[in-house]
Amino acid sequence: MQGWGLVAPALLWTIAFFVVPFVVMGAMSLATLDGRTLIWDLSFANYAELAEKRYLWRAIVVSLEITLTVTLVSVVLAYPLAWIIAFRVPQRWQRLVLLLAILPFWTSYVVRSYAWLLVLAREGVVNQTLMGIGIVSDPITLANTRFATVTGFVHFFVMLLTLTIYANLIQLSPNYRRAAMDLGASAFQTFRHVILPLTLPGVVTGAFLTFVLCIGDYVTPQILGGNTELTVPQVIMVQLGRRADFPLASALAIVLMGLVTIAYLASARWLRIDRL
Amino acid sequence: MIRLLPWLYLLAAFAFIYLPVGALVLFSFQDGALPVPPFNGPSLHWYADVLRDDRLTGALGHSLIVALGSSAVATILGFLAAYGLARHILPGSAAIRALLIAPLTVSYLIVGLGLLIVLTRAGSGLSLATAAIGHVVINLPLAFAIIYASMGAQQQNAERAARDLGAGEAQVVLLITVPMLAPALAAAFFLSVTLSWDEFIIAFLLTRFDVTLPVEIWSMLRSGLSPRLNAIGSLVFLVSVTVVLILELLVFRKRRA
Amino acid sequence: MTAAIHLDAVNHWFAQFHALKDISLTVEAGEYVTLLGPSGCGKTTLLSVLGGFVDPAKGTVRIGDREMTHVPPAHRPTTTMFQDYALFPHMSLRDNVAFGLRMAGMARAQRNRKAEVQLALVGLADAGRKRPHELSGGQRQRVALARALAVEPEVLLLDEPLGALDLKLRRAMQDELKAIQRQVGTTFVHVTHDQEEAMAIADRIVVMNAGRIEDHGPPTRIYRQPATLFAADFMGEMNHIPARLTGSGAETPFGPLAHAQGGSGPAVACLRPEAIHLGAGTFNLGQVRVRDAAFFGTHVRAHLVPEAAADLLIVAHLPADSLPAPGEMLTLCTEPDAFCVFAEEA
Repeated sequence: MQGWGLVAPALLWTIAFFVVPFVVMGAMSLATLDGRTLIWDLSFANYAELAEKRYLWRAIVVSLEITLTVTLVSVVLAYPLAWIIAFRVPQRWQRLVLLLAILPFWTSYVVRSYAWLLVLAREGVVNQTLMGIGIVSDPITLANTRFATVTGFVHFFVMLLTLTIYANLIQLSPNYRRAAMDLGASAFQTFRHVILPLTLPGVVTGAFLTFVLCIGDYVTPQILGGNTELTVPQVIMVQLGRRADFPLASALAIVLMGLVTIAYLASARWLRIDRL
Repeated sequence: MIRLLPWLYLLAAFAFIYLPVGALVLFSFQDGALPVPPFNGPSLHWYADVLRDDRLTGALGHSLIVALGSSAVATILGFLAAYGLARHILPGSAAIRALLIAPLTVSYLIVGLGLLIVLTRAGSGLSLATAAIGHVVINLPLAFAIIYASMGAQQQNAERAARDLGAGEAQVVLLITVPMLAPALAAAFFLSVTLSWDEFIIAFLLTRFDVTLPVEIWSMLRSGLSPRLNAIGSLVFLVSVTVVLILELLVFRKRRA
Repeated sequence: MTAAIHLDAVNHWFAQFHALKDISLTVEAGEYVTLLGPSGCGKTTLLSVLGGFVDPAKGTVRIGDREMTHVPPAHRPTTTMFQDYALFPHMSLRDNVAFGLRMAGMARAQRNRKAEVQLALVGLADAGRKRPHELSGGQRQRVALARALAVEPEVLLLDEPLGALDLKLRRAMQDELKAIQRQVGTTFVHVTHDQEEAMAIADRIVVMNAGRIEDHGPPTRIYRQPATLFAADFMGEMNHIPARLTGSGAETPFGPLAHAQGGSGPAVACLRPEAIHLGAGTFNLGQVRVRDAAFFGTHVRAHLVPEAAADLLIVAHLPADSLPAPGEMLTLCTEPDAFCVFAEEA
């Protein structure tokens, strides 16, 4: 009885403010809007609309394209960085180098996207530098593109993945590397046959986390991507703000959850949630 | 050349990682109206401007209240649940753990949207308190997981010894469990503070008149690039870095010793 | 395959710490040598120098007739069996054992056949498809051995290979390691801190302390006539009897000893507990008073105070059939050869 008394506050909080809203949102996705009045008709009209209206399913495709690109690029960039910090940087400096490598992670995420706007804007650091050196004569368009969105995301997730991959690399016994080299493996063979397979669960877990956070983010594409193409979270916010169309927003949120679930099932074989 | 390659990569990665933060901080000292090259300065003009702005300082205060309040609630609820689950045998405890962790796997946007729907349906108004409720929802799983993971057999034996020596249940918790778990409790609290302090989308959806700092910064963004944004962004960064360094120095260093 | 090892004046430092001090040593081809010493004595560092994992600051390493001092591990005719075995957890046992052959470019069918032969050699003939986590500690140790031997090294380096096993299994594996070494003929260099393991297994023991070689030779010689006081103590329990060197011999509380090697000044005469017998003999220890005694199965271990030196406490192993009572008086003797005398360091 005493145990329940201790667990109850947290449990009730989670049920009242997470489970109930979630169920209501699910029900809402089956309602429809007639003018400004809600009709609880348990129809799949919102989901049908997703399939019919081009700007809606286009958002799903854009979200997936951006998220998959970001996940892939971030893993490919972060792995060598984590490797260098774990195996090239002397042990006594590792903690400091790692701390420095992920310090900008703690910038407020609205501010971080704004900071990339400074760098990529028409008069920004990159364009002024390129024109100063004389590589280009006119500023190139970097901000308000998908490139800017991907860059902003990759910046954030490289730091996150470097941390998780580093943690995976250093917990391996150094004798695995020694044994492989002792048996004649080159540095690349050691990586390919021993280290990569052993760190794969950690990498997949980090990639899954990247997928979840990236596909659900509104701020980065809104600030950096401009309005040339919209992602699912951006469309959800449009429904909420301009049209107060809660049923359609809910349906989009459920679709978002569905995409995350698919990603989870695709990577479940290697996922180690406890390694996060 | 091959030997230098890793160091060049490290250098390039650091340049990439620090490019936006560097631009942000550098042009916060800009003496002029646009935070772009060429750099004129340094000037503290924009910091003075920001600190004089009542809306910004007000929002900063709101952010602190929401962060400290929601983190305190999340840490206390997380501790009680972790203690209950680690020390008592409850039917379905695996399911309870899974339920408590579940909000971690859902994007903040969806958590915020669900709460917004329920709150508007229930006819309750939006305020700093509703934003704080949302922040507790997202931080409770982390606080619970961190504290639950550090409740080992060593603590349990110390608790048994205290009970054996005549301590009551409340005395056991206050004199043994809480002091022994101090590093985990501090880690849960401060991590929760930094996350809440930075959180945008839930605060954006669940506040109306009084808003938190990230929401205020968001509305300033509509007027485009401005050194004021650089100044306030640099200040927020400084606060976050300070909290992270305190955490690193006090909590994790002690834990390793 | 087998090869000799020649180390010449090898020195190594970790930051300020002088880990290896002027190590010169020759290991014959096909010999089984153990490096014995307490933790931190440099034995594992020396093994790493042989394996190529540590680049010595000074000195040379030759294996066979080739200079190997700065050659990376992959290009040495050595393989190492690691303390934690370092079996690749994502590979089957067969793939683990065949890994070195695969790196050498051997075709799959051929290397798999060789791996099966190696697994059979260590008594795991039908386990090739299993994964390391399905094995017991002793079985993992065998797989690590098979993997290291599969590439037919000239020298096998073993880093505390039996350290993770319980005592009974350790003793069994010692015999097996020795048998396998005889069968393959490869030079084995085996690091351990357990002197019983070293004596049971080695053709030759190298005793190390604080980065130096204290003594090296066959187990019986090191046990009976150790070169230094450290080696004497490390090989087993010793009674320390204060003595004085007299030029031609040594003076002890129990009488003069003839065979010390010159010099003068304070010294220590060492005597093993099992070298002490009841009754009178070639070197008498006289009357002793029993302080306490305990039954140990194969012998009785007794703490004794001799009449000739009342401030001395001697440990002796007495026959198991008589348990003396505290306070009882006994007469003891030994042989003059049983003593080792070391001058005390100034």
